[in-house]
This record gives sequence, C-alpha cells and structure tokens, in this order.
Amino acid sequence: MLALVARRLMTAIPTLLAIILASFFLMRLAPGGPFDGERPLPPETQAALQTAYGLDKPLWEQAWIYISRLVQGDFGPSLVYRDFTVSELVAQGLPISLTLGGLAIVLALVIGISAGLSAAVRAGKAADKTIMMLATVATALPTFVTGPALALLFGLWLGLLPVSGTGDGWSWLIMPVVALALPVSGAIAKLTRAGLATVLKQDHIRTARARGLPETKILFKHGLRPALVPVASYLGPAAAGLLTGAVVVETVFGLPGLGRYFVQGALNRDYPLVLGVVTLYAALIILFNLFADLIYGWLDPRMRDG
Amino acid sequence: MRRLLNRVHWPLWVVLVLIALALILPAILPWTYDQIDWEAVRAPAFSGSHIFGTDEIGRDRLARLAAGTQVTLMVAIAAALVSLVVGIAWGATAGWVGGKVDEAMMRFVDALYALPFMFIVILLMVIFGRSILLVFIGIGLVEWLTMARVVRGQVMALKQRPFILAAEAAGTPPRTIILKHVLPNIAGVALAYLMLTVPQVVMVESFLSFLGLGVQEPLTSLGILVKEGADDMDMTPLGLLLPGGLLVIILVCLTIEGERLRDIFS
Repeated sequence: MLALVARRLMTAIPTLLAIILASFFLMRLAPGGPFDGERPLPPETQAALQTAYGLDKPLWEQAWIYISRLVQGDFGPSLVYRDFTVSELVAQGLPISLTLGGLAIVLALVIGISAGLSAAVRAGKAADKTIMMLATVATALPTFVTGPALALLFGLWLGLLPVSGTGDGWSWLIMPVVALALPVSGAIAKLTRAGLATVLKQDHIRTARARGLPETKILFKHGLRPALVPVASYLGPAAAGLLTGAVVVETVFGLPGLGRYFVQGALNRDYPLVLGVVTLYAALIILFNLFADLIYGWLDPRMRDG
Repeated sequence: MRRLLNRVHWPLWVVLVLIALALILPAILPWTYDQIDWEAVRAPAFSGSHIFGTDEIGRDRLARLAAGTQVTLMVAIAAALVSLVVGIAWGATAGWVGGKVDEAMMRFVDALYALPFMFIVILLMVIFGRSILLVFIGIGLVEWLTMARVVRGQVMALKQRPFILAAEAAGTPPRTIILKHVLPNIAGVALAYLMLTVPQVVMVESFLSFLGLGVQEPLTSLGILVKEGADDMDMTPLGLLLPGGLLVIILVCLTIEGERLRDIFS
C-alpha cells in the first residue's frame, strides 16, 4: 500500500510541473494583456508596469522565477485585484470551495449508493426502472440550471434559504451543495446498480445464500463492497466534475470561492490568478485521485500491489 | 432505413420536433431574436404578438429561445462531428496497428482524460479570445477521448474476426479493409457514442456561455438565455424557467436515447 502511494506521488510531481509549465507558456502566448484598457497607456507607464511585474524578462526566466516562488507558496501579485496577492485570494477561496466540494461528494455518495442499492434489490421491477430513470435525469441536470432554479424556488418564492452569499450558520450551504451533488449522485446510482447486479450473480453470494445468511448481511457485507469498485474508479472524474460545477455554483450563489476568482481572472486576463487557481485545481485533482486509489485498494485487495 | 427509423424512440422524436421548431419559428414569428419592442418591456406571456412575453429589454422570448436552440445545437453537432472524426481516426489507428504505437496512443488519451478539461477549454478561451469557432474546436478536441477508446476496442475485436483475416490473406490493402470492412462494422457503436457526445457538448457550451466565456452577444445560446434569466429571475421567473426547462429536456432526451443505442449496439 505504501509503495503504491509513493509511486503515485512520484508521478504526481512531474505531472503537476508539466501542467504548470504548459499553462504558464499558454498564458504568455495570449494576445492582449491585463493592462490593455479602454485608452492605451503612455509607453513609459506601460514599460514601468512591465518591469514592475517582471514581464520584460525572457520567458524562461519568468517561468523559473514563477516556479521557484510557487514552491515557497507565493503565487505572485494579482494583476486585477491590485491590493491582494494571489496567495491571499486563494487562501480566502480555498476553504469555501473545499467545503462545498467535500459536502457535495459525501451527499452524492449517500444518495447515489442508497438509490443504486434499492434499485438493485428490486431488479426488473417498476421501482428499479423508476429509480434508474430518475438517475439518468439527474446526470443530465446542469448545475447552472438547477442552481438558479433552486434559488428561485427555495430562496425567492418560499423564502426558506438565502439566495446569495455566506450568511450566518450553514443554511447558505444547502442549495449549492444539492445543486452540485445531483448529477454526481445520478452517476453513482447507476454505477452501484450495475456493480451490484454483476456481483449478486456470483458464486460467493450464492454460497452465502445457501448457507442461510440473512439477506441484509449478504447485501452489505458480501455484495456491496466488491460492487463499489466501479464507484471508486469514478471518484477521480467526479472530483474534476465537482470542481467545474463549483465554478458555476459559486458564481450563481455569489460565494467567494476559488471558482469565482478563476472566472473573474479569466474574464480579466489576470494571468497570475488564473495560473494559481489552475495549479491548485490540478493539485487537488491529483490528490483526490490518489485518495480514490487508496479506497480502490481497500475495496479490492487485488489492487493493492498495483 | 426502415430498421433505423424503427429504432428511433420517443426521446429522439422530442428532440427532432424541437429542432424543427427552432428552424421554422424564426421564419414565421413577427419578431427577430435581437429586435427590441419598445412598447413591451418585460411583457407577460400571451401579450399581443409575444407568445412567451419579452425579456428585460423588450426582446421576444420565443424568438430568442428558437435562435438560442439553433446556436446551441449547431455548436453541439459541429463539435460532436469533430470529436467523431478525430476519435475514429485515433482509435482505429491505435486498434489496427497495435503494439507499441497502440500503447503510446492510448497512454496519451489516458493522460488527457486525467486533465480537468473544462479548465483547459477556459484557458484556451482566455488566450485566443472568445469566438464561437473556438468554442466548438475547443470542445470537439477534448470530447473525442471516449470515442477513441470505444473505437479502438471495437477495431481490436474486429481484427481477429475471420472475414478480416480472410481479406488480409487475400492481399486486400489495409486502407480498403479499414474503409470497406472495419468502419461499416463500427458505425452503430460510433453513432451511439456520437449521440452521447452531443448532450456533453451542449452542457459544455452552455456552461461556457453561462459564465460569459462562450457564445457572445448579440448572438445567443441557451446558456446565455439561462444566464439572462437567472439575473432577472426575481422580476420574471419565466426568463429562467423557459430556457432552463428546454435545455434540461434536450439533455435528458439525448442522454436516454444515447444510452439506449449504446445498450443495443454493445
């Protein structure tokens, strides 16, 4: 198990470096810069700004400076939020995004696995078909529709939940988390249902039944664990999907998370901000994939040496 | 053709009817999608010639819905076709050649899979500016991965089949074998995955447009309409509910149909 973790970390670092370098050079290829305003700045001012932000140095040197600062946790200054460094913005946004994403994946797992389970034990019946149809519909629900729709229903019409911002308590989390979790829970339900359908036909389940074990024990102890292997391998892509969804949800509900800074940075060509957020996203996804591999190893002992 | 028509299921009919409406409506409606009716700003539904009313600056909602659906589906179909061509070419080459080439090509696909592609598309938008052409090139270029994997698997299985071996033994050039014998046999599966790619692309395009990074005004798309509706939902909820509902219907129908076709062909 430790060997697996070590090997994954060994490949994670070059991958991360490659992503940082690729996005760094891509950003610098971009026509137009953050200082292109409505009126062109006088050339002296432009040159002074370029020097101040180190944009006049050769590209390789800029990349080297960027990475060596990054290692020390310094993402550089934000070009648009002039009074903040990117590290400050990120430090502010990361906890919000992590809370959203973490709660959403837990909710999606709970809803998805229980829905998949209840469909699988009723295989072929009307309830099974209804649950699976609902799961398909859920996977096709984009967060940028469900988010505003939830806000309209529970926020504006029923007045139960806050429509935007991070108010007191935790009620502001409900709608963003639900909107984020819905499509993922649909996918997890389908995977659980398919996994259980295969596992329940296998010999060890028949043996367990023949020995007269109670059905619930068969299901939870012997059936569910191997059936969840496909769910575990879906967790990596799911994390990427949640991060993308979080961009929308944070915009819709006015939450100052990473995603909102990413969109603002992208719209304003704030290179250091966009680069910083992309780097963090990549690191998060790599970390989460590692975590998913560990779960995978726990579910299926044969994978532990892989 | 008959067989194909029999396979068309209700969800696809719904989408086809919506496409037909999106194409016909702009021709018969008295308003265009960007025309402002100064007499009727935020008009309620069924007022005068505005069946679904008007938006916050007096543009006819129905005309905008039709125009937005056109743009969204056009981008989706174009991008899905790009992904089809790239995916088949890549997957068929890898599956047919096999060995080291196959391994290298599929490693590349795996590596791309692991990337958060939505962020790459956004990066591309930031770098090359926001244009509708780039929206679909960007989407098409990242959505071909699944197609490549599926096609590779199919081609590898086909390669072992007697009729292909016979063709090879008879000295048929590989080009002819691939075009005449392999491609027709993977058409069904490719069609199913094409159908599943379209809703994916619709989702990406609307996502980008919603954030202001995709299709740009004055052109409109369902994503832009959802965004406009969400911004104005406290005044006129219809502005959100109509494009949002339409988008969900299209996505759900295409997904159901795609999954059905996939189950039939594989």
